[in-house]
Amino acid sequence: MAGPLPLGSRLRRYGTSYAMLLPFLALFAAFLLWPLANSLYLSFTRFDGVNPAVFTGLENFAELAGDARFRHALGNTALYVVASVVLSTLLSLGLALAFNSASWPHRIMRTLFFLPSVTSSIALMLMWKWVLFPSEVGLANTVVHWLGGAGVPWLATPGLTVPILVLMSVWGGMGYGMVLYVAGLGSIPEEYYEAARIDGASTWQQFRHITLPLLRPVTTYVVVTGLIGAFQVFEAVYIVFRGTNNIGGVLDSALMIVPYLYDQGFTHFKLGYASAIAWVLFLIIFVLSLVNLRVGRAMKEL
Amino acid sequence: MRRTPAACCTILVAALSAACATSGQKQTQQADQNAPMTLSFWSTGGDDETATFQKAADLYHQKHPNVTVKVQTLSWDDAYAKLLAAATSRTGPDILSGGMTWTIQFGARGAMVDLREHGIDALKGQAQPAQWESAVSPDGSVYGVPLDMSTMTLYYRTDLLKEAGLDGPPTTWQELVDDIGKLKAAGVKKPYSQDWGNLDWIGYFNYLYQAGGAFYTPDCKPSLNTPQAERALTYWVDLYRKHGAPTATVEGSDALDTGTAMVVAGNWIAKGIDANKPKLKGKWAMAALPAGPAGPTTFIGGRAIGVTSYSKYARTGADFVRFMYSDEAIAAVADEARKRNISYIPPRPDKIVGGSTFTPEQAQVFAQAISTGKAAPGCPGWDESASDVAKQLQSAILGKSDVRTALTEAAKVMQRNAG
Repeated sequence: MAGPLPLGSRLRRYGTSYAMLLPFLALFAAFLLWPLANSLYLSFTRFDGVNPAVFTGLENFAELAGDARFRHALGNTALYVVASVVLSTLLSLGLALAFNSASWPHRIMRTLFFLPSVTSSIALMLMWKWVLFPSEVGLANTVVHWLGGAGVPWLATPGLTVPILVLMSVWGGMGYGMVLYVAGLGSIPEEYYEAARIDGASTWQQFRHITLPLLRPVTTYVVVTGLIGAFQVFEAVYIVFRGTNNIGGVLDSALMIVPYLYDQGFTHFKLGYASAIAWVLFLIIFVLSLVNLRVGRAMKEL
Repeated sequence: MRRTPAACCTILVAALSAACATSGQKQTQQADQNAPMTLSFWSTGGDDETATFQKAADLYHQKHPNVTVKVQTLSWDDAYAKLLAAATSRTGPDILSGGMTWTIQFGARGAMVDLREHGIDALKGQAQPAQWESAVSPDGSVYGVPLDMSTMTLYYRTDLLKEAGLDGPPTTWQELVDDIGKLKAAGVKKPYSQDWGNLDWIGYFNYLYQAGGAFYTPDCKPSLNTPQAERALTYWVDLYRKHGAPTATVEGSDALDTGTAMVVAGNWIAKGIDANKPKLKGKWAMAALPAGPAGPTTFIGGRAIGVTSYSKYARTGADFVRFMYSDEAIAAVADEARKRNISYIPPRPDKIVGGSTFTPEQAQVFAQAISTGKAAPGCPGWDESASDVAKQLQSAILGKSDVRTALTEAAKVMQRNAG
């Protein structure tokens, strides 16, 4: 077996390829690696954006540990992430099973459900704001009035804010998951089902023992990307729930981690603190994604 | 997995670019003030407002042919972040306008010129005293001066009040609750609501000062732990809990249009009601807010204008700011605002009637409100405390805590942030 090529030969053989990679590597270093390293540094500093950063060690992280608003944002985000990821994954799968064929009606339905995923999120959030507008002006309350009910202050009722955010997220995200599941369903060989039917397996048994296990890679992907996206929810809170002076809505009931990060960094000039929040968020997402992948792998081995 | 660091990176990119751009240098070397120059003025607001200020800038150019001032729009939603990015990189506008306390914030960090160096504090005598006080930093620095004014009034449906047997709008707290009762008895389902500052400290502001209270003492000691503050909050909470004011904010003209009899809202809605809600024409009017036990104090807001410390034309910028207080600049802005049917109240109280874009009757109401006006506290720690104070007020309104506890908690936060 031939050993690795010496550096000189490798450069001669692959030099052009490396050179062509250089622009990408330069951009990658300038706009990803360098900023990441800097944000890590800033998370250990007190930095107001204008004056030079002052190194403060772990002060920001210690402050975060005792920050009730951060804990509140974290709790809200956890609730939101679990509800929106579980619901949108289940509904994505349900939609994919319902509109799986190549027939025109199914294609049209898939297109309709997928549309929110390719629409500007700002436009979608403004639409939701209009729907949930108080008084008879908003669509939701107009319907409530038609049904004889009294108007509901949707955005000013603390108990409704997280459910509304989950609804907005699931409605906007399930079409994307559906497309992935439809592709996953298409990759399962029909022979497996034929064999199962010959053996007398019911529809539920086929779904339980063929469809679900073979869709596991898709499920892992949908859950992990959904998790990352849900942890980073921003526009929905910023556009729909922000008050005159408060980014988190009434009683901070809609406060999530990224809007809180934005609030600290860009309205309170605490950019070092905001960087610390970003790194805590990164670690949470990183660990949860790892756990998710491990669980997916473990289940495969079962 | 690669998306995770990428996403975190996106969020942080502004912070990061800051790290390399910050120089720590406070004052930029000045360019020759007699050579041709173009100053950039970032105006927070809408395009219509930009056009009105551009008229004043054009007038300034006529008088100083070597100076061109270009006004650009910054939308309220992202203005603060954009100005912060500009201050960080020291490559932004020469002149900026934004929320009343913004220039204090940026100035405290070395991003604004203290306009006293250019004699701008001479404008003090022309400005509304409380608004001026709000624009000045606690240490006396003048990083920005009021560019315009906003205030709040009571908008009411004349037809609905008449049906309920009321001759005119309420003028005191007691009359307000009495009138709400009469309107309810006459079948009006929505007697009262609050547009701007609903469930927020701005909404409470009016009641607090009308009861003789204040957020801070004159020497900036938090003062929400007082009987006056308690009386004000009790009254305000009762408007929601006893008298049915909605907790959801409905824009003033929409509220009037959908049958609300009285709405507390900002001056900026007055110009659009007839145009946007033609059915309301002739059926609405405005009055100063009902007076409390200590008088009729009303909130005054507006925008501040200042010059950035990284401008190469600080002296000319300051001269332009001074020019914005001149009769001719105010007239130019008001003319253009009238053409565009937008709200404009000049920063000079003597120019509200005649120099604003409202009818003389409306301007009288605003002038009356402004004459008793107080502005947002410019005390250290207020900006950090505002959202927590609002949260405590909300907890009282939504029945999650009693008035005294809410105020005690709010005062504690203010005390902690006051340093």
